[in-house]
Amino acid sequence: MADLDLVEFAVDYARQKGATYAEARFEHQRNEEFILKNSVLDALYITEDSGLGVRVLAKGGLGFAATNAMTKADVRAIVNDAVRIAKAARRKDPIVFAPEDSIVMEWSVPQKKKLSDVPVEEKIEEILHIDRELAALKLKILARFFQQANRQIDKYFVNSEGSKIRSFSPRVRLDYFLTVMHDGSAEQSHQSYGWSGGWEAVREIDMLRRVLDEAKSMQNALAHGKKSPEGKMDLVAGPMVAGIASHESCGHPTEADRVLGREASQAGKSFITPTSIGQKVGSPVVNVVDDPTIEHAIAFYVTDDEGVKARRRYLYKDGIINEFLQNRETAAVLGTQSNGASRAVTYNVEAIVRMANTFVEPKDWGMDEMLEDVKYGVYMKSFMEWNIDDKRYNGKYVGREAYLIENGEVTTPVRNTVVELTTPAFWGAVDAVGKDFELFHSGYCGKSDPSQALDAALGGPTIRLRNVYLR
Amino acid sequence: MEDHAERIVDKALELGCQDAVADVIVNRSYQIRFAQNQVVISNQWRETSASVFLVYNKRVIASDLKDLTKLDAAVENLVKIAKASRENPDYAGLAEGPFKYDRLAVDKRIVDLMDGSDFVEAAINGATAEGAQECAGSFWKYDEEHSLRTSNGVKGYDHRASLYLSIRALMSLESSGHGVACATRMSQFDPEKAGHKAGKIAALAKNPVGGEAGTYDIVFDPLILGSLIDQVGGRSSAYTVMAGLSPFAKKIGKRVASKIVTITDDGSADSMGRQRFDAEGVPTKKKFIVRNGVLKTYLHNTSTAKKFKAKTTANAGLIAPWPHVLSCKPGNWTRDEIFEECRDGLWLTNTWYTRYQSYLTGDFSTIPRDGIFRIKDGEIVGVWKDIRLTDNLIHVWKSIVGLSKTVDQVNWWGEVSVPTFAPYALARKIRITRSAE
Repeated sequence: MADLDLVEFAVDYARQKGATYAEARFEHQRNEEFILKNSVLDALYITEDSGLGVRVLAKGGLGFAATNAMTKADVRAIVNDAVRIAKAARRKDPIVFAPEDSIVMEWSVPQKKKLSDVPVEEKIEEILHIDRELAALKLKILARFFQQANRQIDKYFVNSEGSKIRSFSPRVRLDYFLTVMHDGSAEQSHQSYGWSGGWEAVREIDMLRRVLDEAKSMQNALAHGKKSPEGKMDLVAGPMVAGIASHESCGHPTEADRVLGREASQAGKSFITPTSIGQKVGSPVVNVVDDPTIEHAIAFYVTDDEGVKARRRYLYKDGIINEFLQNRETAAVLGTQSNGASRAVTYNVEAIVRMANTFVEPKDWGMDEMLEDVKYGVYMKSFMEWNIDDKRYNGKYVGREAYLIENGEVTTPVRNTVVELTTPAFWGAVDAVGKDFELFHSGYCGKSDPSQALDAALGGPTIRLRNVYLR
Repeated sequence: MEDHAERIVDKALELGCQDAVADVIVNRSYQIRFAQNQVVISNQWRETSASVFLVYNKRVIASDLKDLTKLDAAVENLVKIAKASRENPDYAGLAEGPFKYDRLAVDKRIVDLMDGSDFVEAAINGATAEGAQECAGSFWKYDEEHSLRTSNGVKGYDHRASLYLSIRALMSLESSGHGVACATRMSQFDPEKAGHKAGKIAALAKNPVGGEAGTYDIVFDPLILGSLIDQVGGRSSAYTVMAGLSPFAKKIGKRVASKIVTITDDGSADSMGRQRFDAEGVPTKKKFIVRNGVLKTYLHNTSTAKKFKAKTTANAGLIAPWPHVLSCKPGNWTRDEIFEECRDGLWLTNTWYTRYQSYLTGDFSTIPRDGIFRIKDGEIVGVWKDIRLTDNLIHVWKSIVGLSKTVDQVNWWGEVSVPTFAPYALARKIRITRSAE
């Protein structure tokens, strides 16, 4: 670790140079990543990414500068940069931050099996084992692509209001991509799992079973899958589908910076406006939550990158738009307080409003209860293709693993079921929310410029949508 | 810089590595982000790092070193980990240097630029002059120096500097337009023009109505065609082909686009993406990915080239080959002729969120954003919103019937990932879908 006194020096020096507010965030990320492509270890990436980012408010403008050279001269240089470019903003209305109490604390995520205690060759062997078991299924798998990544993130945050926070966050990810062939036809799947903690992740997520089950379901779809029916019918959507819908059509449109237009040029705006709180967006059984405090979910944290304590946020509650994701800048504009949603992917980019772990809050329906009322419909467990417009109103999810439901029974696999619905149409059709729950699926959520692909968990229970158009 | 690069390579060889690459990068880039017609943040970077690639008995390890005060210890650690790793039988070495490179072509005025506020103001003024109410975007001064050394005799130095501005102009949430400006010479940089373009499209796109699903002729503006060219560039990397992530597998020599389509990659071309050498130090050059509609080559580094019994195309990244500067050869139609030939269709100006159901077949969808215009007999007869282009990558490229004589250099967040020269294009019978209410 570098000389952490420099972090405090940066803040003090920024104040001397005329910053009305200053914060400095030192990060040291130990990254270990490898790609296993068709059983070949392509490369091992070992990186120690570290440096300091300084953000200041000066003359109503916001300036940010970063360096990886931890010397006093370099730190002084970036502070000078940040103050100078902040002052050059010439804004008509000054940027202010909503008030927050200062925090002095340390926090870390517990690891049952420390990432630093497990040699990289053992980690590679674990994924090779999955790969061998996959090959032993004797399916025609055209391409097997695994990407396994481990990160250990140390941070030290200091601001000019007295906050000093040290944190340690270890994270494990497994992404895989499979192409299964059968009778000249192909099925492809991309899955991504994540865990905040140690190498116990492999067992907790049960990666081997998941990969094998996925390959078998792909083969089943190829061998027995039918064309998905078209028309209005019921849809039972698994946790993965509930998760992506929560992220795309609830989490993103309730990001306050998007609502206020700060991301308009890149990630876009939102169909939700500052006055939308209290408006109906779904059925009364729908609660969509974003919660960074779920300990082993990939985006767990105690304090955000502005030093604000994290808490659970009910974004949609009882089908009503309930709360935005806020940082201190957006909270000041909207006359409220930050709810701890400010994050940055590394030391060298500003923290902005981000989702953490986003999901449909489970209720009390059993899977059998949900199915027994469905005369004809589709059960979609997972998806492959998905996208949504930049105002987050027109979403599309195309089934990867899906089945017909006939008279309350899950029957034949169906291929490429298309759910292409508006956001209110999707959430408004939900009439049952399951008691099952899963939060292992992890995305790389993209936003900002330069683009910040950030860990985000997506999940929930199984949900049932009535009488929606599918094709 | 050179000292650091040499030291890394020498240390790796001393520790028994057969191959080593070190690219020491000094990044002095600067950015202004703006929204609601005002600057929201300015960013400045002062970073020096080393991208490192080492091979010990076919065991491949890569790293980005940030602490250059402890290089020896960092290399020793990497070699130690490499020794415990596994062989990559597909690894086939590095290109043999030394090489000669084109002369440097960097505009000192760009390197010396300290304040981009006037460019931001010019872009916003351009858009508001057309009637735009709200503008957002980014101005970038990219400034990077590279010092490359390899164990195969490569000694390369590069200085890459360019200016870029992206602006989205809005009349309302659903009436918007987008423009970009790209330049390697200060004198060629025209952010005001980008602002005017964004503002004009936004003004034209007033009061859109929900579009209708169906099959339409499509006029692709350069920004959205750039996204489709980007898909061809990325999917033609030999790495994506090997990973099952490309519809171009086993299609070398086969038709993948209409006869009028020629797509090249050329890292030596004067553009924002110009670079003198690839990650192995091979001088960048022009190559045809698609020529007259036929797939000619994948993009290769030394290892993928050997696997495919080909030669490197000078597209090496540390692990995977990647395009540098893509270009779709212009056609012989004027912009007006492109629109005149659109009898029953749409003019799409931008897109985002391109995703595949099957990379192998190329089945994908993408969501047009900003101005979407209904065209009948060459005239704009309406403004649409809320549609999705749902088709197949190869089918779209086979459906191109006209390309404009002029091209624009485009580059855009997420969709046009490398600088790309794109004309206007007309395609027939492209599938459009929309969400159910």
